Amino acid sequence: MSTDLRGRVALVTGAARGMGAAHARRLAAAGATVAVNDREDSEALSALATEIGGMTAPGDVSDPKSCRALATHVAATTGRLDVLVANHAYMTMAPLLEHADDDWWKVVDTNLGGTFYLVQSVLPHMRRTGAGRIVVIASEWGVTGWPEATAYAAAKSGLISLVKTLGRELAREHIIVNAVAPGVIDTPQLQVDADAAGVGLDDIHRRYAEAIPLGRIGSADEVAVAVELLSDFDLEAVVGQVISCNGGSTRTRA
Amino acid sequence: MTDQPVALVTGGASGIGAAVVEALTARGYTVGCLDLNPGPAENTWAVDVSDADAVARAVGQLQDRLGPVSAVVTSAGYYEMAPVSDISEDAWRRMLRVHLGGLVNVARATLPDLIATRGSLVAVASELAVGGGDEDAHYAAAKGAILGLVRSLAVEVADTGVRVNCVAPGPTDTPLLAPDSPWRAPEYLQTLPLRRLTAPSEVARCVEYLVCDATFSTGDVVNVNSGAVI
Repeated sequence: MSTDLRGRVALVTGAARGMGAAHARRLAAAGATVAVNDREDSEALSALATEIGGMTAPGDVSDPKSCRALATHVAATTGRLDVLVANHAYMTMAPLLEHADDDWWKVVDTNLGGTFYLVQSVLPHMRRTGAGRIVVIASEWGVTGWPEATAYAAAKSGLISLVKTLGRELAREHIIVNAVAPGVIDTPQLQVDADAAGVGLDDIHRRYAEAIPLGRIGSADEVAVAVELLSDFDLEAVVGQVISCNGGSTRTRA
Repeated sequence: MTDQPVALVTGGASGIGAAVVEALTARGYTVGCLDLNPGPAENTWAVDVSDADAVARAVGQLQDRLGPVSAVVTSAGYYEMAPVSDISEDAWRRMLRVHLGGLVNVARATLPDLIATRGSLVAVASELAVGGGDEDAHYAAAKGAILGLVRSLAVEVADTGVRVNCVAPGPTDTPLLAPDSPWRAPEYLQTLPLRRLTAPSEVARCVEYLVCDATFSTGDVVNVNSGAVI
């Protein structure tokens, strides 16, 4: 792609594996220094930081204090913070009446609350340089809803509305906020789905692929291309939007 | 013939289309254009895209000269304002034939190539297709129809690997917006979250993304509109 992020610093949350790692690699390939976050430090996180010439920034993003510390740490180490990719997620599913109250709120507080606190934490750094890019990873289910995913779908829908509102609120400051809504993507989460359904990984891939017009599930990098687009500082006019990467399954609704 | 992939851009001589030509050329495409007023550019055919036979002939010549087309961008169009009671039968018909008909004519002429190359089509719609307009009902209806066609064609050809998507630009700084257009008025620009018109290069950036990078997106619309419709 034609994105040039040389001299820019990006923070990617939930980056130890799956989609977050793909976003971090993409932004680093475009020239950014990337701070990779996950809830805990791990060999995978350190290895990724080393691979892409970035830094680790572990911390629990559902905790507001931790979000502020993270942003301060990255900006203090690198001198700036230009791009936030809020990719972290926590998902559990259950019929509404069976979903334990604590866990229901943990889904909302991690996905929606965590991103809210992260945005609050990175804003002062973006304001200092007079520009920023915030890319929130929502979900197809935040657009369509899904049975037995009330907490997750509500949190992801909430993220879409947060993005639309912040898009309106911050664009005049050249801080551009958008969302990406992935469909079914080949990540470690699919093994969890396969185990829950009592089938193999190939079977679960095939089942999901049947419902996708392009006839296959997506790769993490096919979501990362959208993150790269929305991190491009030569592109300001996409504001408060949701870019879908789902093989055609929603055909635009956002 | 060329070793590079070939793109066809309608309305490529000016405005958004010209910016798309520049972006796709930078990504390694050899670009041929269909345009009503083509100017001196090479590989450009003077065609009214509402004329199916003329489109088919020009596409045939373009294929003979450049090779099979693996990317199509339909950008040809025009804008005019009129209250609904003043939109004549001719004005209505022309608006639909150029925008919706132009897309259909070009899609029909290039689909065999797109299937053979597992290529991609991007239609240029408008924010008015998403949010509706005011005193431009024929334009909003024609652009809205493009969204319906794109969403349907996307699924119809998905099993061939061809992707079909849309960009929906907001008020963009091109000759299509007259100097006295209400869309250029400072009072209007102040209502936009971004406080300025969209640049043609920004629309082209999104088209480039859909053509070259968005391999898991089809039937989608990328809204590039300075925040006009969120």
